Amino acid sequence: MALSNLEITTLADQYKNSEPQEILKLALESYDNIAVSFSGAEDVVLIDLAARIGKDVRVFTLDTGRLHPETYAYLEQVRERYDVAIEVASPDHNELEPFLAEKGMFSFFEDGHKECCSIRKVGPLRRKLATLDAWITGQRHDQSNTRTDVPVVQVDPAFSSEANSLVKFNPIANWSSQQVWDYIRENEVPYNPLHAKGFDSIGCEPCTRPILPNQHEREGRWWWEDAKEKECGLHSGNLKK
Amino acid sequence: MHITMVKKIKEDGQPCRKCNDVMGKLERSGQIASIDHITDADERNPSSEGMHLAQHHGVELAPFFIVRDSDGEEKIYTSYLKLVREVLNGKVSQREELMELTERVGSLDYI
Repeated sequence: MALSNLEITTLADQYKNSEPQEILKLALESYDNIAVSFSGAEDVVLIDLAARIGKDVRVFTLDTGRLHPETYAYLEQVRERYDVAIEVASPDHNELEPFLAEKGMFSFFEDGHKECCSIRKVGPLRRKLATLDAWITGQRHDQSNTRTDVPVVQVDPAFSSEANSLVKFNPIANWSSQQVWDYIRENEVPYNPLHAKGFDSIGCEPCTRPILPNQHEREGRWWWEDAKEKECGLHSGNLKK
Repeated sequence: MHITMVKKIKEDGQPCRKCNDVMGKLERSGQIASIDHITDADERNPSSEGMHLAQHHGVELAPFFIVRDSDGEEKIYTSYLKLVREVLNGKVSQREELMELTERVGSLDYI
């Protein structure tokens, strides 16, 4: 069953305060061609929740080619623990090879991370999502200021095309990092060992570092970039009234 | 047809990086010849023409383009690549497309 845009808006309101289990159940009952996006970090809770619901769920991950060895080992651990075939989306060599030939292996330190991310993450993600009707993410409001308004279900604003609406479920959008970790500990969910080494946010190895207590997890990513340099917004406060 | 490009000057007086990138692409491709007017949205000056245009059209991202057709109808493009495809009849590579998607969609920053 595919949901109309109107139904999705209604459901987003109806489920906005629901428990992740309820949102996940809604997702898995609404779509057959749906998969969980698993980053190899604490979004493992989605796989555990799905397993408890008792529904078979497809899982995919993005292998950028630059992940930590711990993350690759952890992906295997999750695959075995939940008996789930993790589908791996890799960068398109037609995009990656010319990029590396032109700019080398560490261009992100000079040019910023987005070009590399676009090839290693966004490209494979877009290709994977083009095969699905809906996906499930571990996005949470407290992760960054770009996610504070993420609804529990939405028409994907980035990957929907004019011809096809892709639906995105964000079952743990309302959970805090603390709630996620409470769930992991209470349910003995396996977690990436990098978390125990101070990595709150886990991405590619060169672009991720441990953080100190009380630092925001965003500070563990792309720390060499000037936040202002990333800002393309025209600040309404500066507009003439 | 008349095309206006609005680019941003940051509070420190420097042009925003994205605007610079787009200017570079327009110049290298020769498409700059199709842009009739280029103006600044200067964050230090709320009365600057670009800030006024941003407010008038309800645009919150820079750079952006205002395309006015022969009937006087105006259409706003906040995507440079969409402008290239739809107005300038240019070709867009997959790499450019992905880069723009990454830059425009904030939540992708963190996957």
